[in-house]
Amino acid sequence: MEPLARRTLLRSGLLVAATAVAGPALLTGCGSGEESPARSDGKPRRGGTLRAAFTGAGAGETLNHFVGGTALDMVRARALHATLGDLDPSAPDGVRYGVLETIEVNGELSAYTLRLRRGLTFSDGSALTARDVLWSLRSPAEDPASLPVYKNPAATFDFAGARVENDHTLVLPTLAPVADGRLLLCQGNYLVVKENSDFSPEVATSGPFRLEEFVPGEGCALVRNEEFTHPELSDAPYLDGLELRSLPDSEARAAALTGGQVDFAHDLSPVTARTLGEDERFTLTSTSPPYVSGLFFRMNLAHEPFRDNRVRTAFKLAADREAMVESVFFGDATVGNDLLSPGFPDYADEIEQRPFDPDRARRLLREAGAEGMRVTLTTGPETPGMVEVATLYVENLVAVGVDATLEELPAGQLFADYPAYTRLPLAASFSVPTPALPLYQMSYGGQNPAALGWDRPDVDELVATARGTSGEESARAGLAAQRALWEEGNTIAPVFKPFTTAHVPGISGVAEDLFEQFPGFSRATLS
Amino acid sequence: MTWGPFLLRRVVAFVPSLAALSVLVFGATELLPGDAVSAVAGPSATEAERAAVRERLGLDRDPVTRYLEWAGGALRGDLGTGYTGGRSVTELIADRLPNSLLLAGLALAVALPASVALGLLAGARAGRRADRAVSTGVLLVAGLPEFVLAALLLWLLAARTGLLPQVSLVPLGGTPLDAPEILVLPVLTLAVSGVAVGTRLVRSASAEVAASPWVEAARLRGITGPRLAARHVLPGALAPAAQALGLMTGALVGGAVVVETVFGYPGIGLELQQAVAHRDIPLVQGIALVLCAVTLATVLLADVAARALDPRRGSPR
Repeated sequence: MEPLARRTLLRSGLLVAATAVAGPALLTGCGSGEESPARSDGKPRRGGTLRAAFTGAGAGETLNHFVGGTALDMVRARALHATLGDLDPSAPDGVRYGVLETIEVNGELSAYTLRLRRGLTFSDGSALTARDVLWSLRSPAEDPASLPVYKNPAATFDFAGARVENDHTLVLPTLAPVADGRLLLCQGNYLVVKENSDFSPEVATSGPFRLEEFVPGEGCALVRNEEFTHPELSDAPYLDGLELRSLPDSEARAAALTGGQVDFAHDLSPVTARTLGEDERFTLTSTSPPYVSGLFFRMNLAHEPFRDNRVRTAFKLAADREAMVESVFFGDATVGNDLLSPGFPDYADEIEQRPFDPDRARRLLREAGAEGMRVTLTTGPETPGMVEVATLYVENLVAVGVDATLEELPAGQLFADYPAYTRLPLAASFSVPTPALPLYQMSYGGQNPAALGWDRPDVDELVATARGTSGEESARAGLAAQRALWEEGNTIAPVFKPFTTAHVPGISGVAEDLFEQFPGFSRATLS
Repeated sequence: MTWGPFLLRRVVAFVPSLAALSVLVFGATELLPGDAVSAVAGPSATEAERAAVRERLGLDRDPVTRYLEWAGGALRGDLGTGYTGGRSVTELIADRLPNSLLLAGLALAVALPASVALGLLAGARAGRRADRAVSTGVLLVAGLPEFVLAALLLWLLAARTGLLPQVSLVPLGGTPLDAPEILVLPVLTLAVSGVAVGTRLVRSASAEVAASPWVEAARLRGITGPRLAARHVLPGALAPAAQALGLMTGALVGGAVVVETVFGYPGIGLELQQAVAHRDIPLVQGIALVLCAVTLATVLLADVAARALDPRRGSPR
């Protein structure tokens, strides 16, 4: 599988909407948790400027989120631009609408009618209309530099045939009958930008905040957009201002927090999180499955020993998963079961947890004639904990009689030469939260080079059936596909790590506006 | 040799040096692991998508053609367009370079007098206790990698005591001078490294002059201590020291890569580090070329300063 960094996922064009997950409920506090935002009269407190640090790009950064894939790009875009809607399984349509009132679909599943809320305006007071929505969905598909995720709607809807019936109504014909169009459009990342926007700082925006200052590579200062009307909270956003700073290094983000330069630091390394967790001045918050990142190793089936399933099983049994969770993540991680996407509804949690069984691993290697086989595990510090987990795994392999060595590449090099990566005998990688079956189709099935030789049309067919049907048939096919992957697959997925943030006391409402692993601030308050 | 031919010779030498360095920079980025196509198209891109990206970036042409086009653009002040965000590389560098030059300038302002004072102190007393103390001290500091020195200063002056900010966050819309406290740690780190290098260079030049007959003659006339150092050793040592300090200045700009990354200071060094991480080849090439040009320019200026201090320099013997 390829390196599924956020940027990669966006490029790959598959931020899948098929599975609506409970975002707001998925942040769990490791520290004291978020505090009550209520004043004595029960209303959230208004005011204050929150300063937050994220991974951003360098001086080449722009305000065009269609071409920017960093955490800061996504958080800033969602602060500046209103969403069509977010996934919400508790809502009647499976989505919580933003600027939309409803999405209606005709009986033939061939046309979707998007109805906008009345009275929506941009930050300059101009009306937000159906034309802006159409432009926001259509324009990235026509720009070769856009990230593929923003081109996805064009693969489902016929924008050439789209009709703006009036300022509040947009009809989108589909290219083929589609049942899950609402989920596709309301993933939280399709945002409404003013028609023909050039993304300059002066352009009016529709989100909870408007831009006051933008310094590429350093950050931006936002202030409350008084024209914004929150679909559920009449007083939101509560913050007067939001300062988003770009700090690429996890240690620098933590240092800025401890030094009082920011109030909120996103995506911290395990060691940094551990250190901050012991400091009572800060509250630590970690995501739970499914919003976790898998650290995994893939055996290349082009290499002879790995063609024998006994060897693959031995390599899976050799991994001491509990030790990895405890020693690398100090217990703040989830044991993996060699399947990706735990916590998503399509994940097969019926399959039993694979044990740590070095004796059986040795036996299987002996039976396969692979005792003492030589292998090099190649990894790199692409995400916190990746090298440390690989180091422990190599020790596990040595303990079962494999002549294993570790090759650690410098940061940024593991996936830089991707054809070379796909030739590695045993390669490390990591995933970001994506439902299991779409992830399989995106990066594993269909002889994808990222699968390092996995070629099973029967499993591809099972996954396609699971995604194309519903109810019992879908569940049965999904389970069978993942059972085959668990028993015969070439992936060892021992650990899933959370995305950890830290903040000063008094911040609340961030978890309620979570989009994937990225925090939102439309409901945030400072006390 | 008069000033005219001297300057002409130096400037003429500058041009082929920069041209040779530009070939090295371009060649080195060609040899970086991976290619820009992998970085831009993403690892899951199909071969057709990769080919389209390769064509869009102009990477389907041979390296010589691409080098000539890049070098031609550089001559016109156009260093191409960055892959991230599609902004002009020249503009990106113009945004960041002043911050790095400010850092290097302040570090030099601290390091230069300190290096001259310590170097003179040690050189004028070569082999004696003061020389041994200074030389040992600067040797120890010179042996410390910059990131270790930065971490030590950070722990001492920021994390432990809270005297200074740990991260050099420039106020949005402002300049580093709007929050001078953010400059202290990076400047101090660069300056301490610079003093370690500079002191040894000045000490070496001073020791040579201190052993010369005319300084010995001054000593015999009863001139000692600071007066001997300032009036008899320093003038003779200034010219070689100026050339050495020119090299140190170039090293300060280059050393900013580490220091800016550690402190998150938005200079050209941090930008280079991020450009390498994102495989933004045009930006890497542009920054590397500008760093080479800055280093060559400081060496040129140092040569001019040395000639001004000692007119015999640069003349055929």
